[in-house]
Amino acid sequence: MDTVNNVKSSRRRFSTTVAGLTGLLFLAGCATNAPQDTWQAKGPNAQKISDLQWIVFPIAGVVGVLVLALAGYIMFKYRDKGQPIPTQGHGKPTAEIILTIVPALILTVVGVFTFRAIFELAKTEDTEMIINVTGQQWWWEYDYPVQTELGINTPIISSGQLVMPVGTKVLLRETSRDVIHSYWIPALNGKKDAVPGRIHLLRLEADKPGIFAGQCTEFCGLSHANMRMEAVALSKEDFAKWVANQQKAYTSPADGTLAKEGETVFLNQCVRCHQVNGLKKADGTPALAAPDENVYSGAAPNLSHLMSRNTFAGAMFDLLRKNCRSDVWDATSEEFGAKYLAGVSESCLNQTDLRAWLRNAPAMKPMYADPTKLTKTGGKYRGMPNLGLTEDDIDKLVAYLLTLK
Amino acid sequence: MFTPSSKYFVGLTGIALVSAILYMFLINPSDLGAIALFGVAASSALVAGFTLFTRDGDAFTDEEAVAAATYAPGASIWPIVFALGAALVLTGLATVPVVFILGIGVLFGAGLEWTIQNWSQRASADTAFNSFVRERAIGALEYPGLAAVGLGVIAYLFSRVFLSLSKDAGTIFFIVVAAVIFAIGFLIAFKPAMRGKATVLIAVAGAVALLVIGGIAALSGERHELAVASEEDHYSAEHRECEVEKSEHYDHHANNQVSLRSAVTATIFVEDGKLRAQAIGIKKDIDTITIPRSLGTTVIFRNLDETEHRLVVNLGSHTVAETGVKEKVGTCTQLTGKKQEQALTLTIPKPATPEEPYFFEVPGIEGEIKLVVP
Repeated sequence: MDTVNNVKSSRRRFSTTVAGLTGLLFLAGCATNAPQDTWQAKGPNAQKISDLQWIVFPIAGVVGVLVLALAGYIMFKYRDKGQPIPTQGHGKPTAEIILTIVPALILTVVGVFTFRAIFELAKTEDTEMIINVTGQQWWWEYDYPVQTELGINTPIISSGQLVMPVGTKVLLRETSRDVIHSYWIPALNGKKDAVPGRIHLLRLEADKPGIFAGQCTEFCGLSHANMRMEAVALSKEDFAKWVANQQKAYTSPADGTLAKEGETVFLNQCVRCHQVNGLKKADGTPALAAPDENVYSGAAPNLSHLMSRNTFAGAMFDLLRKNCRSDVWDATSEEFGAKYLAGVSESCLNQTDLRAWLRNAPAMKPMYADPTKLTKTGGKYRGMPNLGLTEDDIDKLVAYLLTLK
Repeated sequence: MFTPSSKYFVGLTGIALVSAILYMFLINPSDLGAIALFGVAASSALVAGFTLFTRDGDAFTDEEAVAAATYAPGASIWPIVFALGAALVLTGLATVPVVFILGIGVLFGAGLEWTIQNWSQRASADTAFNSFVRERAIGALEYPGLAAVGLGVIAYLFSRVFLSLSKDAGTIFFIVVAAVIFAIGFLIAFKPAMRGKATVLIAVAGAVALLVIGGIAALSGERHELAVASEEDHYSAEHRECEVEKSEHYDHHANNQVSLRSAVTATIFVEDGKLRAQAIGIKKDIDTITIPRSLGTTVIFRNLDETEHRLVVNLGSHTVAETGVKEKVGTCTQLTGKKQEQALTLTIPKPATPEEPYFFEVPGIEGEIKLVVP
């Protein structure tokens, strides 16, 4: 009797433990700080997906739980206890018909809502703004074609952070320079692949100002997990200020400053791949970057107005120190625009990561940078190589990059 | 009279002699190839003589002689085919690689068949059983192989015919041949009495006709304009002629249909003597097209005017290192007819400079569309 009680007691303890752990696991999914949570829509397109999820998820959940529970019950009730094998029948047509019709009806209901959402999300006739998005190992390039009604009189090029006005139907025209990537900002819409040789359309629209995180969702090589992006939504007034800033002419640092020396280092080293619009060589001719000669996919991030962005290296690292970053990310909708447009100042610059990147980029982000293994890419790099810069060069470069506002 | 080995060498001698004579007439009488082939013929003849004289050098025991007499192999074409392969290999070494490769194929096939045949004939005393094991060993390879070769020959001969005929004659030829094949197939299907020998007769006649016509077409070569275009490389990028006038070669058979499987970044129109552009997602006409750097991007040109036009894209200029002369850089579509379209795919590695901007234009039409590469 004691043995039986002990067995029952240990079974009970085991069941309680399993139930407890399962509950904890379930609750862990309810994190509050989850910037890529698909259940926290911040725009109408993401809201449509979320609304659909709220319909499908409970239906699927209920069906799933029922099926699992029933299967478990049957496995337990009719487990082998040494009883003879029951007589074999030929099925029950009524049950089979019911079990076909009921799931079909459920799927039809789910299908109606799903198709409606798909067609609504595919609408592009009422687009108000275009941004060309190009994926490349392992960063995203954004170029804003001329759209005079938005104040964009000359094309703007940027990377890492996509800036857009709030309440505007923005159409992304996505493509890729090398392999297939996928653009996904969960708070604003679903995923859309960026395929070489094709242009795929994705609509984004944000309800309120803020920063929305995303990442590449199609495996694209060594640093796929590090290929991130952020969408920055600004009020229409703030967006106009951002546009005006991006179209400002380049200003060379004053002579005799550390930044001026950094400009020289930039011209000698970085211009091989990185373009800064308006930068001129010593002879006065435009300094045109030649990433097609050095980078396998043919381009490198344009660093014009770098310090107007918050991130670098494919949005993998922050340009802002932790406290400054929180200041921007956690700002209210009303304060966000001003804080974002303030850009990166010297006091807020994340010197640690930026210097480490300039010192040895491949050590920070895997990028097939081993020069002895470049035969497959014709000697060209897939990401930024180790340039062997001295600490002196790095000091100068940091000073120069800070002037790119 | 002829022993097995001697048959092989006699065959080789004959093939080499024929090849040598053909080579002298078709290629060059005094070339090294002819000498080599005559050499092969002479050496094969010598060896054939030796093998005949020594009866292949075989010394049979009584039992082996009886066994050889009992199990004497039947007639086989494979030695002669093998010899043909060897001759093709030698001919190919002296002429063109395709003949050499064909010879290797024939050698391999004939060698395999000959080996299997020899093996199966010694398997037992029962010829029916021997045929069975031979079929099992190689049947699965023979039929598909023959089919592939046969289809390849048919396709090749047809292609020679079409390349030598003019466009209209080729169309008529194709229609007539297809109709004849269809009619014969119909008759065979619905007239059972026609099956059997009649089918074989028709098939053989058809094959012979195809061989003869195809051979003649192959020997006569491609029709004149194709041969000239190929020789002078008229369709390459180096020979683009981007003026307003029609070019004799570049605009010949202008491809006025566009496959829109590749996504298009913008469409440029000529309509009522004016130039305009549209991009996906932008409702109004645009005067600037933006193309990402180093990214192959397609632009469609659609001509809605009465006269033919072409789209030209100017990509600045570059200085030729050797001469120091500045040359224009750009490309263009072929001349495009009314209500027709063409595509241009551009991969531009560098942005324009203010001194040399990039732009699209249509010669003869006022205006331009700016092209920006950020």
